[in-house]
Amino acid sequence: MKLTNNSPKVGLPGGLSIGYHERLAQVADEDGGIELGSGTHYLLARNGRGKTTLLRTLAGVLKPLDGDYSCEGRCQLLSEDLVFDHELPAKVIFKAMLKKTRCKEAMELARKLELDVCKPYGKLSTGNKRKVALLLAEFSVEEGSSDILLLDEPFTGLDAFAREVFQDLWRRREDGVLRLVSCHPDFDSMEMESSVLITDGKIIHLSGEQIPKQWGELKVQLN
Amino acid sequence: MQLYRLTLATMLQRKVWIIALLCALLLPIILPYLTPHESNPSLIEPARAQAAWICLWVVTIAWVFFQAARFGDDTARSGLGAYFLSAGVSRVSQMMQIWLACLTFLLPLVAITVALCLIGAMPSEASQAKMWVATNMQYAALFLLVIMPLVMLAAAVGSRFGSTIGYLVPLCLSVYGIYGVGYLAMMTTVQNNVLLDWLYVVSPHYHLADLTPRLVFRHGSMLGSEFLHLVAYFVGIKLVLSMISTLCFQAKPVT
Repeated sequence: MKLTNNSPKVGLPGGLSIGYHERLAQVADEDGGIELGSGTHYLLARNGRGKTTLLRTLAGVLKPLDGDYSCEGRCQLLSEDLVFDHELPAKVIFKAMLKKTRCKEAMELARKLELDVCKPYGKLSTGNKRKVALLLAEFSVEEGSSDILLLDEPFTGLDAFAREVFQDLWRRREDGVLRLVSCHPDFDSMEMESSVLITDGKIIHLSGEQIPKQWGELKVQLN
Repeated sequence: MQLYRLTLATMLQRKVWIIALLCALLLPIILPYLTPHESNPSLIEPARAQAAWICLWVVTIAWVFFQAARFGDDTARSGLGAYFLSAGVSRVSQMMQIWLACLTFLLPLVAITVALCLIGAMPSEASQAKMWVATNMQYAALFLLVIMPLVMLAAAVGSRFGSTIGYLVPLCLSVYGIYGVGYLAMMTTVQNNVLLDWLYVVSPHYHLADLTPRLVFRHGSMLGSEFLHLVAYFVGIKLVLSMISTLCFQAKPVT
């Protein structure tokens, strides 16, 4: 991944706690905080442990219960419940939301993903609806603007082919984007260079050579 | 302005604007022929002006308010509001973009109404024609001053309480301001009730912006000072409603 001077950064200092009314998870003080740079980071936790809450907090949609955090870059939160008007075809959504050149690129990738861009959004399957949102987020990224994409379960409903296309795109693109992706991987060999885990009410970051890289080894750490 | 473009695209895609456009365009041409125009041909022109402006009020209250309320509701509940918030688009900016998109459809309808009155109902005498133009311009200005903040209110209330309430609030407020205040005035003359007097004072007197009788009975345009007083009054109401809308609008559901 190419790093620019204005690389995006997400900082979660020790003491940061997230939740709605009750605390869901906290960055442990003794860990000295978490700092994420450009690249793809997977956010892993069991159901109801605070993945969505953490993403919403980082996006500025929700206030942290305690402590503070920093997001240096242009954020985009792609929440799981993001839906568009049911009558709008993907083509119209892209044209309305993306720049002309990026819209063309999005349409090309949509063709590759077998997404019917002329079909009304409401008539698309769950997986195809996710493709629309993912394409929108990916092609909203502006060169040199230190983008931070907060993707909440973007693979829900996606077939293995589409998921691999996106993961391959993330690896290939040298855009310096920071992607924080919450997901529930469905195969043990899924590789993760950097992962943020929420387990036992603690938010921890695993990266570097010594830590497990595959979902099969990581999932045993989750509680 | 992504939300503005998306809202505009959605309205275009829904195609109900075609019905609104046809109503504003064709009904003022057709409806005057329901009058006894064969016996009195001079009825056609005032009836056309009356039909044009009444159609505009009805289309605005029935369609534009509903669209604004629905977009407010959809933005808050679809995750789009949260998406734009995360991208740095403030909730006030989101409200303004929805409002502007609705106005983009409303303004051509106002222009069509004024054009129909100027082309299809203009008096032939030069001095009356001049008055006619002035009255229509004054009417258009007052109409917009009344409607614009109500559209904003529809979007804001819709975002917080859902599209039904978001639609009903500006609908009731406008109907009350146009017709209800007149009944209240009658009640205040019959009964000596301080509460009713206060209610009358604080009520939005939207009936003052309805210049249809002036057009139909050719009373001529308003005096400059009288018009400016009304403008100031409606700007005041606009400020109050804009403030309420700004406080009320939410870009994400309450958690």
